[in-house]
Amino acid sequence: MSRDSWVVVGGHPGIANLIGTAHGLGGTVRAVVIGPPSLALRAATAGVDQVVWLGEPVDAPVEAYAKAAGEVVAAQPGVVFVGRRPAERVLAGAVAAALGAPVLTDVRSVAADGEQIVVTHSTYNGAAQQTVAHAGPVVLVIDGGGIPAQASGAAPVTETLTQPRQGITVLETTPPAFAAADLSSATRVIGVGRGLRCKEDLPLVESLADAAKAELACSRPLAEGLNWLGRDRYLGISGQQIAPELYLAVGLSGQLQHMAGVRGAKVIVSVNSDPDAPIVAEADYVLVGDLYELVPAITAALR
Amino acid sequence: MKIVAAYKWTADPQEAQVAADGRVDLSRARPVVSGYDAVAIEVGSRLAKDGGELVGASVGGPATASPIAVKTALARGLDRTVVVADDAVDGAGTAAAARVLAAVVQHIGDVDVVLTGDCSIDVAARMVPAVLAGVLGWPALTDVTAVEPMADGTLRVERVVPEGVQVLAVQTPAVIAVATDAAVPRVPGMKDVLAAGRKPVEKLDLAALGVEPTELTALAGTVRARAQAERAVRKQHVIDTADPAVAAAELVDTLREAGVW
Repeated sequence: MSRDSWVVVGGHPGIANLIGTAHGLGGTVRAVVIGPPSLALRAATAGVDQVVWLGEPVDAPVEAYAKAAGEVVAAQPGVVFVGRRPAERVLAGAVAAALGAPVLTDVRSVAADGEQIVVTHSTYNGAAQQTVAHAGPVVLVIDGGGIPAQASGAAPVTETLTQPRQGITVLETTPPAFAAADLSSATRVIGVGRGLRCKEDLPLVESLADAAKAELACSRPLAEGLNWLGRDRYLGISGQQIAPELYLAVGLSGQLQHMAGVRGAKVIVSVNSDPDAPIVAEADYVLVGDLYELVPAITAALR
Repeated sequence: MKIVAAYKWTADPQEAQVAADGRVDLSRARPVVSGYDAVAIEVGSRLAKDGGELVGASVGGPATASPIAVKTALARGLDRTVVVADDAVDGAGTAAAARVLAAVVQHIGDVDVVLTGDCSIDVAARMVPAVLAGVLGWPALTDVTAVEPMADGTLRVERVVPEGVQVLAVQTPAVIAVATDAAVPRVPGMKDVLAAGRKPVEKLDLAALGVEPTELTALAGTVRARAQAERAVRKQHVIDTADPAVAAAELVDTLREAGVW
């Protein structure tokens, strides 16, 4: 049995996976869009059946439209797909509340089974997974995917610009301290953790990343708290989740929260001083020792 | 200002046992105030410094109301706490927890801001603040690094977004999920622990909040199967590092053979 669905688009064009997964349910796919007109058009030409455009946030963040998005979706309930970025999550929460529906994250698969929606998703930081059947609509937070290819023809766009916004105003935005990074498409990623003693030692790992033609990434404390690297470079359950050919972890113990972001890697290498660190059990190749000796040696071997 | 800090009483999942049938056993892990929520309590404590009140709110299984749980949370700087400890909440999922938390916030009444961590340390679905705000009909912002009151009654909030550091004005009441670096949680001293024993604790059940248990079971759905997470089998090949140069050469050769370098 087919199911109608919604794709919630919150300011970001990476929605191909939302639309693709929604089509898997076989029903009508509607999109509610918050963002510039170009984003509404992008959604309309990405193979959906209808677009409801809530407007472009100018002096407000996407989150100010959460309640409005919930009202639009609740008027025609269905299975809802939302991306996993912070603003998208706020929209997902408002939509779930408006529908009285559960929210499931880290979704592996979704299918209609008679009257029910059956979802398999992982939980407990990726340590366990469960398959759950729901009688009513569900809100599913999944990876948004890339920018969708243009389909033939465009869906009708309904402008609903009069929906009340919630009281959030952007006062100022100062440019980021770090250049933006995109780890999602990297073939090789080198992650650095607390084993690195200070920020001044970062060039050691940067040289390795350079020699390996790899993107540099890190554990959460290095991006949040220490501010050695940008927040879009930290890997984990609440950060970037990657699936490169090679993930080389340097000075990283491999806590559950971190490993949930890197398990998609084809090959995992650990360079770390602790032979009993959790990462050892999840690595293909393990080098136990002083990273200050091993990292320059690997860099030299690559050159 | 009346501030609520929502917190979860749970355990470090690194110490959890996940059985082959996917059941998670946290009984041998040390219970704690979920680490990111401890940051929310600290931020709330600073916000409440000038005559405000900081109220804890926690929903979960029976352990949520245990003396150790409430005392540990209170010692972190709460003025009082309100807890709902019910098997119907435990394991019913993110939306159910948020639904009950919303009822607690409404019960507390006249709340200006609810602070939460951005993520629980165990389940890590990162959805409670968003659903909570949805149920309350309040605005929500996440990944917040700083929050302070402004003269006009709004909150000045800072967060890091891809475009840079954003400063926002948020009308209250609102839900704010803080980033890990919004504050460094205190290490409670003996004085804090002793004071915690004298602070008020309010225990509520679902009936007192007007929440039907059937509402929670509907949100939980019917579990058809549980399993350990599927994990790729890793080689766990240990390369001898007695000579770093030899180890490096072996690694590079192996990875080149595997076609990943």
